[in-house]
Amino acid sequence: MRAIYPTAYVPLSPAEIELYLLDLVDVVADAVRAEPFTAEPVAVVGSRLVEARFTGPDTLRRTVEVLGPALLSGPEPAGAPGLAERAVAILGAVGSDFATAMRLDAFDQQEEVKQALLAAKRRAERGLRVSEARFREVFDAAGFGVVIADPGGTCVEVNEALAEMVDRNRAWFAGRRLVELFHPGDAEALAAAYRAVGEGRVERFRERRRLLRADGEPVWAHLAVSLLRDDDGAPAYQVTMAEDVSELHLLQKNLSFQLLHDSLTGLANRQLFISRLEALHSRGEVTLYHLDLDGFSLVNNGLGHEVGDRLLKEVARRLEVAFAGEETLVARMGGDEFAVAVVDSPAVPTLVERINEALERPMDGGVALSCGIGVVDRPAAGWDVAELLRAANATLRRAKAAGKRQWLPYDPHEDRRSRVRSARAARMPGALADGELEVEYQPVVELATGRTLGHVARLRWDELGHDECLEPAEANGLALALGQWALREAAGEVAGVLFFELSAMQSRDEDLVRAVKRTLDETGLPASRLRIFLDTRSMFTETGQDNARVLRDSGIATGLSRFNGGQAELSLLAELPVGALVLDPSVVGRLADGPEGFLHDAITGMVGLVRRSGTAVLVPDVHDRERAEWWARVEVDAAFGDHFGPAVPGYEL
Amino acid sequence: MAERQDWVPDEVDTGLPSAARLYDYLLGGGHNFAADRALAAKFIQVQPNARTIARLNRSFLRRAVLHLVDAGVRQFLDLGSGIPTVGNVHEIAGRAAPGSRVVYVDFEDVAVAHSRMMLEHDDTATILQEDMTDPDAVLSAARRTGLLDFAEPIGVLAVGVFHFVPPERDPAAVVAAYRDAVAPGSHLVLSQFTSDLQPEEMAGVVEVMKSSANPMYPRTRAEITGLFAGFDLVEPGVVPLPLWRPEEGAAEEDAERAGIFAGVGRRG
Repeated sequence: MRAIYPTAYVPLSPAEIELYLLDLVDVVADAVRAEPFTAEPVAVVGSRLVEARFTGPDTLRRTVEVLGPALLSGPEPAGAPGLAERAVAILGAVGSDFATAMRLDAFDQQEEVKQALLAAKRRAERGLRVSEARFREVFDAAGFGVVIADPGGTCVEVNEALAEMVDRNRAWFAGRRLVELFHPGDAEALAAAYRAVGEGRVERFRERRRLLRADGEPVWAHLAVSLLRDDDGAPAYQVTMAEDVSELHLLQKNLSFQLLHDSLTGLANRQLFISRLEALHSRGEVTLYHLDLDGFSLVNNGLGHEVGDRLLKEVARRLEVAFAGEETLVARMGGDEFAVAVVDSPAVPTLVERINEALERPMDGGVALSCGIGVVDRPAAGWDVAELLRAANATLRRAKAAGKRQWLPYDPHEDRRSRVRSARAARMPGALADGELEVEYQPVVELATGRTLGHVARLRWDELGHDECLEPAEANGLALALGQWALREAAGEVAGVLFFELSAMQSRDEDLVRAVKRTLDETGLPASRLRIFLDTRSMFTETGQDNARVLRDSGIATGLSRFNGGQAELSLLAELPVGALVLDPSVVGRLADGPEGFLHDAITGMVGLVRRSGTAVLVPDVHDRERAEWWARVEVDAAFGDHFGPAVPGYEL
Repeated sequence: MAERQDWVPDEVDTGLPSAARLYDYLLGGGHNFAADRALAAKFIQVQPNARTIARLNRSFLRRAVLHLVDAGVRQFLDLGSGIPTVGNVHEIAGRAAPGSRVVYVDFEDVAVAHSRMMLEHDDTATILQEDMTDPDAVLSAARRTGLLDFAEPIGVLAVGVFHFVPPERDPAAVVAAYRDAVAPGSHLVLSQFTSDLQPEEMAGVVEVMKSSANPMYPRTRAEITGLFAGFDLVEPGVVPLPLWRPEEGAAEEDAERAGIFAGVGRRG
């Protein structure tokens, strides 16, 4: 141990080193005595030395010096080969293993240090690029003018802000003398000051001087001139920064502040937010929070706009405080919407919590606020800002739909779904005009007799069924036109009785009765063959109820559709002349999905109650025999759905 | 320009030797370039005991860290940590007291990049690229890592680095700044080349190192002891490397040829 230990640094205590080496000595000792003899087992000794960092230049020599005599001094083994041959074989095996391990180890280490070198180099280059890029950005984007000149006082480069200050093209400056930029009354004094800097006698100076515009007008500017030296300390450049302090300029600055800031809260407005967000996003990890105050119209309507405005100011102030520790931009996007862009945002839930806490402390008049938040966390660099804002807004809308004080992270799948929906809604008017939508018919069957009572009209747009067509139509306001078109189509096509469900929008339409009558006149469908169903929820409006009554008085059989059996809906039956109702598809769906239970009992009871009041009950979406039989037992009057016949185009009727 | 090895990328200049890679080579490491090995050859020429001194210094670091662990220190600030070779502080401390935290500090690009690679997946140790003679910068960066709790004792390690600090950087003030920043119970572990031992060889080393990026400033034992101002030196005080608390069973070493004085002080 004493021989090997000083040859290299091994990070172990002497006792540990001794144990480690003794272990290796045992391997050698066992091998030399083994019968039949083979040097194979000692091959690991070399690599284990290297492994433990016995890698000094003398390590192997000392090892051989110790092992050699020790091996030869043992008792001569009984059989051949002799001790000397064994010793040579063992030392050879140890030596070659040591050399191999050392070589591999050296490769590894050299590879490591090469990687380190490359990493250092890349870092340095990146640092340089970043600092150059930063300089570029400051230079180009600075609000103050910058002129870089050589020590002799000839312009090398100016930035856009300076060019604008004097109303000249940037190309004009190339090769000009610095003093040419200034008013003749200032030029002489400045020439002397610049000379002192250019010669390195003065490091910097500040003065208030007049620049000269292209039209000869002076522009007052604060100048800060400083000297840049090269690596050897010799003057390399003189840099002049000029701040426009003319009144006109100050006025413009004020104006542009107003153009870019929200006048109520002083926060950035949408325009400024978008341009700053662009810069932040291109620089790296930005997280976007889009906020909308919950129920703020209540505040405005209930407490007045003056209070509302004060609250908005307070919200702005609190948001700024809540994000004070971060590199952020807080903006008012309009109305009661705010947006915050955070660079390297801490965990999103933490910041959301901060926002909620900031708003829930009571404000003016004891009002405590909450908001919905849509968050887009560190979007990929490829996103453009418009897309980012759209995603944040869509996420915010989803959060708002979930209730008050809700937040959601951007979900690409949900977003895609909702975009498909929106895209579909957006395309629907065109599709309707191009005849892509069709009306199909499904038989309505009396359950007690199996008799077909007539046909119910269903919408179809490619693979989209009736309800999938209606949902976007309600969203984009097309439901009215779509419904009227469908009614006209159906009235012209159906031979027997037409069951027609009006959309919610149609049911509330002031013009409904006239439109229905006109359709009957134009298509020749007698009123006695039409069963019209108004949307139940629309009956909670006066227009809706009027529509129901007037249609009935016009001799058209009137019912309610999408009836879910709630207490408020039941009470409608007492008030309105309703001959029949169609249950809500969602209620029917839930019954079909769930096991027999409370809901089934409730519906059974409700159906009985409704029928006893003289109102017929129809069930939509009955897809299989089992369901059909159940509804028959409950004694509903009629049903429709795929079980009774698929929806088919008019010409197949 | 020194010879290039084929594994070194073309655009990287390995011509200027560094003290960190020289030390690595003297310790038997392979994390070095031809220029470093050429410098090492000259170093060994004027100080034939160089490899031993390197080994003794590294070995002192190990004993000192273990001593600090025994004294309850669980966090370390290793100034001028250099190339991560064998027996790094986080390995020694981590083995003796799992969960110990280490902040390495070095200024040299390659050493830092190397350390960064090594510590990439280690959340108990990190490397800062700072100048150790700028304690304000080091301390504020160290605080930002969140690894060190300055209310608890910290082991400040300056092993084999102060001989690179020139007198005009005021080494005493540098140490004092670290001392004032750490809590009672903290320790200073310091070792540096001395002109008291083998003065002739030392003068040769100073001459050789003038041609590197890291010229050397050996100090007398009294000067080195002075750096411990405000610390209570633990036994046996400031002594040649092998005499600082040798471990049982350690080989006999020649203290007169150990080149470096070492000591450990505790902040009361």
